Order: sequence, then C-alpha cells, then structure tokens
Amino acid sequence: MSAGVTIMNFGIKLLSLSWLTGPIFDKELRVSSRRPRNYWLRFAFLTLLTVFVVMVWMAWVQPLRNTRGSYQILRMAEAGKSIILTIVIFQFCATQLLAVIMLSTSISDEIVHRTLGVLMTTPISSLQIVMGKLFSKLLQLILFLALGVPLLALVRVFGGVPWDYIISSFCITLTAVIFVGSLSLFFSVYNRRAYVVILKVFFIVGGLFLLLPSLLTYLILAWFRFNPSPVFMDYVLYIYSLANPYVTFFVETTIMMTPGGGGIGPAFFAYYSWPMNCGIMLVFSALLLGWSVVRVRKVALRQACGEVGGTSARPVKARKTQADGGAELIEHAGTIRRVRGCPIIWKELRCPLLGRRRIGTVISIVLALAALLFTYWFCARTGILDNEEIQIAYVSIFMLMGMLWCAVLSATGITSEKESRSWPLLLATTLSDRRILWGKALGNLRRCLPIWLFLFGHVLLFICLGYIHPLALLHLGMLAGWVTVFLIGTGLYFGSLFKRTTTAVMANFALAALIWGIIPLLLGLLGEITRYYRDLAGAYLDCTNPAVHAIVIMDATTRTRGYLRFDWIEISDCNLWQATVFMGYVALGYMGAGILFAYLARRRLRRNVF
Amino acid sequence: MIQTKGLTKYYGDLAALVDLDLDINAGDIFGFIGPNGAGKTTTMRILATLLEPTRGRAFIDGLDVTKKGKQVRGRVGYMPDFMGVYDDLKVFEYLEFFAAAFNIPRRQRKSIVDGVLELTDLQSKQTFTVDSLSRGMQQRLSLARVLIHDPKVLVLDEPASGLDPRARIEIRQLLQELQRMGKTIMISSHILSELEEMCDHVGIIEQGKLVFTGTMEEIRRRLGVSTMVRLQVVGDPRRAVELLNALPQIRQARRVDDHITVTFEDDSDNDGLIARTLVQGNIDIISLQPEQIKLDQAFLQLTKGIVQ
Repeated sequence: MSAGVTIMNFGIKLLSLSWLTGPIFDKELRVSSRRPRNYWLRFAFLTLLTVFVVMVWMAWVQPLRNTRGSYQILRMAEAGKSIILTIVIFQFCATQLLAVIMLSTSISDEIVHRTLGVLMTTPISSLQIVMGKLFSKLLQLILFLALGVPLLALVRVFGGVPWDYIISSFCITLTAVIFVGSLSLFFSVYNRRAYVVILKVFFIVGGLFLLLPSLLTYLILAWFRFNPSPVFMDYVLYIYSLANPYVTFFVETTIMMTPGGGGIGPAFFAYYSWPMNCGIMLVFSALLLGWSVVRVRKVALRQACGEVGGTSARPVKARKTQADGGAELIEHAGTIRRVRGCPIIWKELRCPLLGRRRIGTVISIVLALAALLFTYWFCARTGILDNEEIQIAYVSIFMLMGMLWCAVLSATGITSEKESRSWPLLLATTLSDRRILWGKALGNLRRCLPIWLFLFGHVLLFICLGYIHPLALLHLGMLAGWVTVFLIGTGLYFGSLFKRTTTAVMANFALAALIWGIIPLLLGLLGEITRYYRDLAGAYLDCTNPAVHAIVIMDATTRTRGYLRFDWIEISDCNLWQATVFMGYVALGYMGAGILFAYLARRRLRRNVF
Repeated sequence: MIQTKGLTKYYGDLAALVDLDLDINAGDIFGFIGPNGAGKTTTMRILATLLEPTRGRAFIDGLDVTKKGKQVRGRVGYMPDFMGVYDDLKVFEYLEFFAAAFNIPRRQRKSIVDGVLELTDLQSKQTFTVDSLSRGMQQRLSLARVLIHDPKVLVLDEPASGLDPRARIEIRQLLQELQRMGKTIMISSHILSELEEMCDHVGIIEQGKLVFTGTMEEIRRRLGVSTMVRLQVVGDPRRAVELLNALPQIRQARRVDDHITVTFEDDSDNDGLIARTLVQGNIDIISLQPEQIKLDQAFLQLTKGIVQ
C-alpha cells in the first residue's frame, strides 16, 4: 500500500514538472500576472486575430451574397480552409515574435539585478532557473495559441480542413516557438541589452531558416542550370523539412490547400514526416538550453562569489602591473577615450553596438557581406541581376533590416539608461532637456546609419553598373530619412514613457505595425463590408507605407519596363516630378510626426524617472 | 544654503512629505535621519531637481529648485542611494563624461578628473570599467562624480551603505575634508553613530514630517536628558548616593547594580564636583565615566518606529 502511494506521489511529482522548473516557474508567473502589459498583449493578439479572420470571412462571403444557397454551402468548405489558414499563419508568426521578445531579458534581468548569485545560494539548480524561465513564458505563449482554438474548432465545422493539419501546424508552431525562445534565452545569458538579443535572434533565424535555404536552393538550381531533376529537388525539400520549421509549415499548408501535394513529388512523401521536424527542433532547443544551463551556472557562481557585472562569459582582458610599492595591481587593458563634442552623443557612440565582442561583430558583418556578394554573383551568372523583381527583393530586405534596426535602437536609448539607473544622474547634470534629447536623437541617428549602408551600397553599386537610375538614390534617401526620423521620434517617446527596454521596443513595433499593417487591414475590411471605400486601403498604403514606397521606387527606377513611371496602388502613372513631390509631402508628414513624438518625449523626460 | 518651506510631496494618496521646513547653513554637515520610507530620499530628490514637490518650496543657495532647475543643478552634487552604471565606460571616461555634461571646458577636464580621482583615491582604477569595480570603489566613484563640477552643496543619500568599516571611515574622513573645503553637506544614513561624529546638525524625519531639527546639544535639551556620569566606588555605594543627592547641581543619583548613575541639572562640566565631594566624604572612586546621549537613543526616543 505504502509502496503504491510512494509510486503515485512520485508520478504526480514527475508530472507536475516542479522538479524541472523549481519555484522559478511560480515566481515568473506571479510577476507576469502583475504586469498590465501582458493583458494588453493578449487583448491585442485576440483583436488582431479577429480582424484577420473577419477580413478573410468578408472576402469569402461578399461574392456569395447573390448566389444560390447550395453553392454557398459548397463554398463554405473553401472559406473554412482560408480562415483556418489565416489563424494558423498568424499564430505561427506572432507567437515566435512574442517568444523572442518575452525571453530576451529572461536571464540578463537576473544578472543585472544581481539575483542570479542569490539563487545560487539556494537549492535551486541552474537547470531549474533556465527551465523555469522558459516554461513560464511558454505557458503564456501556449495561452496565446489556445486563444485561437475555439475559432479553429468553430470554423472546422465548415469542413475541408482535416484534423491532421490543425494538429501538425500546432505542433510545428510550438516546437518553433520553443526553439526561438531557447535561442533568445541563450543570448540573454551573454547580453544584458534586450535589443541586442532580439536583433541577434532575428538575424540568426532569418539567416538559418530563410536566407540559407534560399541561397542553397539557388545554388542547386544554378548548378543544374535551372533544370534539376524533380526527384532530386524532392530530396532537397525533404532535407530542408527536417530542420526548418518554416519549410515544414509551408509543406503542411500546401498539402492541406492542394490535396494532390501541390507539385511536391512522391519521393518527398516517401520519407516526409512532420513529427521528425518537431523532434529535431526539440533536440536543437535542448542543446541550446543545455549550453545555457552551463553558462548560467558559471555566471551565477561568479556573481555569488562577489564578482560584479558580468553577462560576458569571458573575463575582461586584464594585465598585471607592478605598483610603486611592489604590490601587484590588476589593470584593465585598453585606452581611455577622451570626451569630444556633445557628451551624450559621445557616450552613445562610445559603447559598442553589439556588446564587447568586436571580433564576433566583425565576423558577422564579413559573413553577411560575403553572402550578399555570393547572391550577386549567382544572379549575375544567371542574368537576372537587372530584373526589377530581384532589385525590389534586395531593396525590400534592406529596408526591412533598416526599419527593424531603427525601431529597436531608438526605443532603447532612454530605457537602457533607466535600467542601468544612470538616468537620474544624467538628469541631475546641467544639461538641458532639449540637449539631452537632441543628443539621444543624434546618437541614435548615428547608430542607425550603418545599417542603411547596405541599402545605399547596393543601390550605388547598381547605379554604377547602369541597372538602376541615379534618382533612386534620391528617392530611397528620402524614404530612409523619414523612416529613420519617424522611428527615432517614436522610439524616444516610448523610451521616456516606459521604464523597461522590452516594453519600449514592443510599443515601437506595435506602433509601426499599427500604422503600416493594421490600419490598412482595417481599411480593407471596411472596404469589404461597406463596398464604398474599397480604394481607401490602397490610397492609405500609397501615402503611408514605406514598403510600398520602396517597391514603387525600384519598379520605376530599374531599367526594365515603365522606366521612371511611378505606379502606386491607387495613383497610377506618375511622372518623376509628381512622384518626387508626393514622396516629399509624405516625408514631411512623417518627419513632422517624428518631431512631434520627440517633443512629447521632451515633455515627459523628467517624469517616471525612478 | 539649503532651505525648504512647507515642502510636501504626495504619491497618489500617500503623503511622502508633509510641510517640511529645513534650514541648513553654509558649511554645515547636516545629518538626515529617519526610518525607511520616512521621506528622506524624496526630500533629497526634490533638492536635486529630480522630483517636483506637490506643494511648498525648496531653495538651494537662494535659488528655487522648481523654477531655476538648471542653475540649482550646477550648485548641487547629488549622490543617490544606488550606483548608476554606464556599461563599457572606464572610470576616467565616466568622470570626464559627467564633467562634459556639467559644461566644464575640455581643456580643464583632465586636471579636474585627475584631481577628484586623487581626492577619492581612485587613480589606480582609472582604466577599469565602471561595472567591474567593487561596491566600495563604486561609492567612491559616485562621490568623485558629485565633486566633478565643484558644487557648493552635496546631497548624499546613504553614501556609506553597504561599505565595510574601513571604507566607511575613509568616506567619513573624506566628507570632513570636503567640509573643510567649504562644502555644505546634507547626508542621510542608517549608521547613526557615524552621523553623530561628523554632523553639526541633524534632522529626524518620520512619516514625512520633521520630528526634530537642531544640534546634538539641542536634542539633549529637547529630550530633557542632561549629561550623565557613571561611577564605581569602593565599599558601600549607599553613602555615596546620599552625598551626591544632597548637592543642588545634581538632579538624581541612583544605584544601578554595582555602579551609580548621576544625572545633572545642566550641561556644565560637573565631573570635578563629584570627585571632590566623594573624596571629602572619604569614599574612594574606582571609575568615573561621563555618558552622553547617543544619536541612536535620540532617534529611538524621537521616533515611534512607524514606517509608511
């Protein structure tokens, strides 16, 4: 009897996972339940999901209004498919984004607040610290996924969507979330700044799952002179599907939407199995988490032994010198840089952008440049380098990178000072609020500029080669200019509004998503519902969306067709002068808005200081 | 030099400060004492222009802190109860950054930074990154930072907290040196014995209200506690108690265990009187120890230990 009870207790303990997560799990949940931003996040998530679903629904229902009932019933299955696809894609993208952001400060927070060393003095193990952090955030993310379940169940009644797809997409999403979350947690051991973690994860995930497969596919296609054997390509796709959740997700969706397999050959299906991808992603996550556990233990022990600071895994380079009295002093190597010009700008530029590991940064840049040159070479070999689609793709990627960079950096300028508690010290100096803000803005601008070098280097190169008209430089310059000024303004405002970097970055992203994504969606929805304002969304996108501007600029300035004719979504066939004036107005509007946000930031600068 | 009139600060419904009136003279070291949450830090933050009072006014060197913020900041060196750390900045760079922030011309900065590094004994650490310094060194650096623009007033919020005894003594000596240099210092601390040794005036605050302000001497008078002497005599102490109680200068002499406690009517030096009286009465004295009221005792008596 007692053995049975013991076994049962052991089983309950094993299932409760408390042995794995320890009290950290409870503590994290308690803390997050007290943060209003988590409730807002859930509200925003559900609202966006609803908007997307309603949009798709309206798009399906509107054309069926004047049709027969039997035809409507027939089409319901198709509508169900589209709605479920919308929900699943939305959840796949949004939960990964949230996982990266939510776990970006998971360990660094403990390091900065010096609680990691304290934890080491308790029976809590570093495994429990890492798993407690991960699982507490995962639970919240699963809650986000669960929010869509009632909708999925409801829509499934329409028919057309097999349960298999819902289960597979859920599992793929979950394992992808665990992987990116583990990656974010891993980087948070090394970096105390959330934005550095977020940027690193974005670039690594983008590079591993999007850029690398695209590059490899391109290499393979080029190798076979763009006529490879379909069976071989099936094998390639199979290999991708093993370790790339995006490919697996794409394959599952294709199978669901086109029952024949959508052009994917039988050789692929002979081996394909989505659980294999989930398993591999879990193994990768486990490896990352295992590495994190080791690093966390080392950092925590260093902190417990009284060593201050130190998210860095390696000790600061030091050298021993002989003091006058003969005693040995440890003197840190490196030169002192004298303050020149505005101290705020000097300070902003003094701190390395991506931490102390310069070699790592240089290697990353060199690798990125090498990858870029590689793509040029292959595009040139296949004679498609002057295609407007290719140029649009390049410019769009660089624009996206630039926007991402600006949105993150600008929102961290003030909050990182608040987090390191140096903000009151700065405000206690004789520097005026205007000067502090101006210094921050200029510092951010200078820090944002390097990322735009990719864009302008690319455009300049192809202007020299004669593929792009030189005026593209002017228009893209205007575009990059207003995007930067606007995002810096909003970033400063959110920095002054919030105390935490993660909140400010999320707010800056949310505003950009609202202006450039959600409002046009809502306008599109309005157009579908009322049938009167269908042009509104297009006109709004023409006036506001930087991606639309970039595409139109490249479409008009690449020497293929419609040379120097600017075709917007609603405004068609503009000449150079009209387009320049239009873009000028848009730029002025956004710059004005950016300056307004900066002004609001100045008014809030001395509020919420402590 | 520092003056507050009816200074009041509310955080929502919570009154952090209620009608605080302070007057600190130039060149004084003013000890600001109170339990946690009493309003010390709030007062200091208002004086450093980092918080706006809900009501009332505060002046530094005659300048209103809410209206002449920039000028006030030029005259005040504020050291909070935490160390604001800039990642990746070295000690010299950190100090030079604040020198630049206080608009000190570039050509003067090096000598000024070198000067404060020497004063705070941090020369050997100038190439260290700020976040790699120990707690004691960081406190010194904080002190160096507040001195960088040569302010007339230093507002120091618990500068010795978390320091070892040696570092505390060094900080105390440094503050006394700064007083000799003519600085007005307002300092809060939980280590009351330290304040006692260096403060000219003390202010005791509780629940946002100033319970007492004045010199140590005034504290004694306020509490009605005069100078006390503790003595031990050879043989029966009862006769000694009788003799002493007969003197008009002595309020009370009573036997406590194996010694006698004598309380005087005033603060004048009466040790000689006791010795003379007892010797004339053929009573031999083993020990005679003057006892003064300690700041800790005053703090306990003046405050009720109520924490907001």
